[in-house]
Amino acid sequence: MRTIKALTVMAAMAFLAACSSSQQAAVPASTTVTPGSVADFKQNVGDRVYFDTDLSGVRPDGRATLDKQATWLKQYTNYPITVEGKCDERGTREYNLALGERRANAVKQYLIAQGIPASRIQTISYGKERPEVLGSDEGAWARNRVGITVLQ
Amino acid sequence: MAGFDLQLGIDMKILFSTLLFLALALPSAASAQGSAYVDDRLNQLQQSVTTLTGQVEQLQYQNQQLQQQMEKMRTDYDFRIDQLEKGGKGGPRPAGPAAAGPSAPPPAQQAASTGSADDLYHTAFKMFQDGDYAGAERDFRAFVQRYPKHVLAPNAQYWLGESYYARRDYQNAMTAFAEGYKVYKASAKGPDNLLKLGMTLAVLGRKSDACSVFSRFTQDYPRATDLQKRRIDQERQRNNCG
Amino acid sequence: MMHFSHLRTMLCAAALAAVAVPAHAQLTIDMTKPSFEPVPIAIVDFAGDPMGGQIAEVIRNDLQNCGLFRSISPGSFIERNINANAAPRFPDWRSIGAQGLVVGQIAQVGGNIKVDFRLWDVVVGQQATGLSFTSQPNNWRRLGHIIADAIYKRVTGEEGYFDSRVAYVSETGSVSNRTKRIAIMDQDGANNRYITDGRTPAVTPRFSPTLQELVYMAFSDNNSPPKVYLQNVDSGRRELLGNFPGMSLSPRFSPDGSRVAMSLSKDGRTNLYEMDLRGQNLRRLTNSPAIDTSPSYSPDGTQIVFNSDRGGSQQLYVMGAGGGGDRRVSFGDGRYATPVWSPRGDYIAFTKITGGSFGIGVMRPDGSGERMLASGFLVEGPTWAPNGRVLMYFSQQPNSGGGAASLQQIDITGRFGRQVPTPTSASDPAWSPLIPQ
Repeated sequence: MRTIKALTVMAAMAFLAACSSSQQAAVPASTTVTPGSVADFKQNVGDRVYFDTDLSGVRPDGRATLDKQATWLKQYTNYPITVEGKCDERGTREYNLALGERRANAVKQYLIAQGIPASRIQTISYGKERPEVLGSDEGAWARNRVGITVLQ
Repeated sequence: MAGFDLQLGIDMKILFSTLLFLALALPSAASAQGSAYVDDRLNQLQQSVTTLTGQVEQLQYQNQQLQQQMEKMRTDYDFRIDQLEKGGKGGPRPAGPAAAGPSAPPPAQQAASTGSADDLYHTAFKMFQDGDYAGAERDFRAFVQRYPKHVLAPNAQYWLGESYYARRDYQNAMTAFAEGYKVYKASAKGPDNLLKLGMTLAVLGRKSDACSVFSRFTQDYPRATDLQKRRIDQERQRNNCG
Repeated sequence: MMHFSHLRTMLCAAALAAVAVPAHAQLTIDMTKPSFEPVPIAIVDFAGDPMGGQIAEVIRNDLQNCGLFRSISPGSFIERNINANAAPRFPDWRSIGAQGLVVGQIAQVGGNIKVDFRLWDVVVGQQATGLSFTSQPNNWRRLGHIIADAIYKRVTGEEGYFDSRVAYVSETGSVSNRTKRIAIMDQDGANNRYITDGRTPAVTPRFSPTLQELVYMAFSDNNSPPKVYLQNVDSGRRELLGNFPGMSLSPRFSPDGSRVAMSLSKDGRTNLYEMDLRGQNLRRLTNSPAIDTSPSYSPDGTQIVFNSDRGGSQQLYVMGAGGGGDRRVSFGDGRYATPVWSPRGDYIAFTKITGGSFGIGVMRPDGSGERMLASGFLVEGPTWAPNGRVLMYFSQQPNSGGGAASLQQIDITGRFGRQVPTPTSASDPAWSPLIPQ
């Protein structure tokens, strides 16, 4: 376990070193919304990433979204953010609260790795208490296993 | 048990070599390929630690089950040897598939049962050990008729089947094992009855019946010992069950 | 509004002298038998006060609902105006099929009421038990439950559970933005009362051993992580239980009420901690990179069962109450969650998820003897009656169908199940111990 802790510290240092110099160009904004607005973030960047059943690792499709989020957030630095973690209804209440926290944290760590300061990011879990989508099929469940980046 | 220890050892070695690799590779990898790579590797590492934790738990559990099974068998052998020494004859053990079965005469429960029932059972069992299968058959049958609720009744029913099986009277053996499986399904002898019922059907040439009997094993006895599970697997292979 | 504090006082019981010569009666149920018929029992409205009919109705409901008795409709009674202090006309009761007969007499004593009751074994023609209780008049429902407990104990040989309460989560509104309030009620659904105002969702309530406090988890107004609170039931005063940076959840009282075990989440890890309520000292119980949650103390307070996904999927683990010595106890197919140690110590109840279905089951504390008692689309969160022989849990409809939840009760043999009435959709039941007398 001690080895793992040491690795985490090394990794965190590596993240900071790697990301401090990597400013990228912002994604071109659509014409229908004001660039830098909440609507801009939701429509042109994408505010959410999805997770596999019972898992909390960011999937490749989610990484692309989070890369775009990081770029946008670095351009518009006035927003603190809260990452909301949620789960589908196919788990128990308490475990899902913890799983939602783990998902929100996975998003947070990814954004930190992309250079967003940790102090800008809060997390909150809603477990299965506040589903995004109504429905009780795999389609609905897949969209309720989600991490949502909310601009404050 | 040695096999399980070995398995555990191998798993731990994989874990440590993974850790070692990461410790050496991480710093250079991080600067060369970026933080996403490190992130990935850490997640993979976390995942493999979790998987290994689950495997170790499963193996420890199986190991413990196996130890309990071995302890049971040891008690059983002690009992048999004790019986032989008391009898002074040390007669031949029943030969053939019957002796190879995972079945065992009951150990500790006898204290609670009545004298006459105990006597009848042990006389029958002694006869079986001595190769007097007809005598054993008679007394085991008398036992299950007279004491169907006795703690030893499932065992007597099973050994009744064995006393036919040993004489290659497979038709009667089949009936006895089927009866044992049906009536005493939840007893400790349940899995043994199912195994021997399948084996008897196979000897009678009813392979598909045998296979369907074997296929019920996992469902009926999810907590069967590994030895019993292995015996079922062997028999399924032997009979080319799908 | 009811004030629960004085319910704890002014309740005294005494044995009634038997009218007939005591003898070994036949009125018994062996709950361990694989099958038995519910005992037909006649409960006569208690004499001497109008509330006698209400008390009798409380007893009828309790006994009928537990599944072990069949309450005979009072309309079919033959003997009327029965004297509670004399032997009844047994043939009249035998002819309507009664095996047990309950009669009672209420008297005003000062500002209190005195209730005498007798249970007659109709088959043998003798008194099976007789007790006298004195209490304040507004305690009449409790008196009914206490008498029902005495009858249950006399007939089954097990402690009763009717004089107890249930805390739960009352759910109203749409699935996506549901109001969740902590409520408490008597075990039979009476005296429902809300503990939280519903401004923010509150879930997973648990009673302290004295029933004077509740612990639960509640969200806050300002987007910060939900936290565990301790609230006094009578005064309504609530306090944050420790101020930690992350989320705190799944609080449980130790059996002596001096400590609360709970989970704290930080950086994606969820570990178990124990807080000493006097010193507010926090002790770490587990240290894993996984999710460790839903703890439950053994009744002697020496061990804790909890669920963890440290091995890849949710399973049940038992450890010492001070942490350490963790060992996994669940090895069946599927995921196991929300373990709850029986107040008798003989079983652990749990939620089990296999494939697409949820179930409620029990196992021995070493993981052997697993038995499933109920299943459904989503059944979750068993809680034990004080006697360890009955479970309550909640059953939730799919979100697509509105997600309504209801409280369900089932006995440990799995034979008698019923829905517990609640004023609203309800989840997360937590059964209290017997109310201290």
